[in-house]
Amino acid sequence: MTTLYVLDVPENATVPVVAAQDPQVSVGRVGPYFEIRSAGPIVVDRRATGCRHAVWYSAVAGVARDSRIVQHDKDALRVEPA
Amino acid sequence: MSELDHRVRGVDHVAFPTFDPAATVRFYRDVLGFPVVHSICAAGWGPQDHPDFIHFFFDIGNGDRIAFFYYFGLDRGSIGGGPKGDVHSRFGEHVPDWFIRSRHLAIHVDSEEDLLEYRRRLDASEWPCEMQVKHETIESIYTHDPNGYMFEMTRAMRPITPQEDLDANLTIDALLDVVAGPEPTFGKLLARKAELIVERAASWEPAR
Repeated sequence: MTTLYVLDVPENATVPVVAAQDPQVSVGRVGPYFEIRSAGPIVVDRRATGCRHAVWYSAVAGVARDSRIVQHDKDALRVEPA
Repeated sequence: MSELDHRVRGVDHVAFPTFDPAATVRFYRDVLGFPVVHSICAAGWGPQDHPDFIHFFFDIGNGDRIAFFYYFGLDRGSIGGGPKGDVHSRFGEHVPDWFIRSRHLAIHVDSEEDLLEYRRRLDASEWPCEMQVKHETIESIYTHDPNGYMFEMTRAMRPITPQEDLDANLTIDALLDVVAGPEPTFGKLLARKAELIVERAASWEPAR
């Protein structure tokens, strides 16, 4: 399982929406955080989110211990099972 | 979470040395329009080896002040240090700029209009705006003052939300856990923070 947390603030709003375009990905809530989960990788295209760079590089609030970030650059965020 | 009551009221003053009081006054008073609000002319300061000095203050809004020390007879070359940095802190060529710039003063303005007004004042001066950046939730302009001190002015693009205060506290608790262990990394912080989100965020409610 891959689990990624993103804080629900206006700048981050598109991140779970873009992640959920993959039908394997589900988006739930833990308090004010989006909990983005998938059996496989979670991939978010930066340009699709429209996030400017400062927002993009600070959008990840937490990554569960069974998951790891393998890409977080100007193109995409990719989290995979560890 | 601290239970101590919070009694402080912002910045009284922040103080820096200068070797160029003329340019410093031009920058803060004549370019930016920060009034001179206080000064002290002191014949030394007790110890025999302390130079005579002028300590002068500019209002930075809200009753807060930025202050400078000008020491008569102090030779700039006597301070030493490397080729990078400001007149107070000199660094070697190998020290990265992002590290040097990480210590800076940011002065708050209320609106985009005010930020752009200060940008106009800087751009018409010897110290034009070097950078205008939208960060996560703030927009800032930057220059270096005549002493090489990094100078930022910033506006909030929106108010900070209550959940950002929760997030900040989870970050700090995760950071303290991670730096207490071996080889702290960003990855370890995000993993610890995920645990704290699961433990503490579900029951969180914004303070009323």
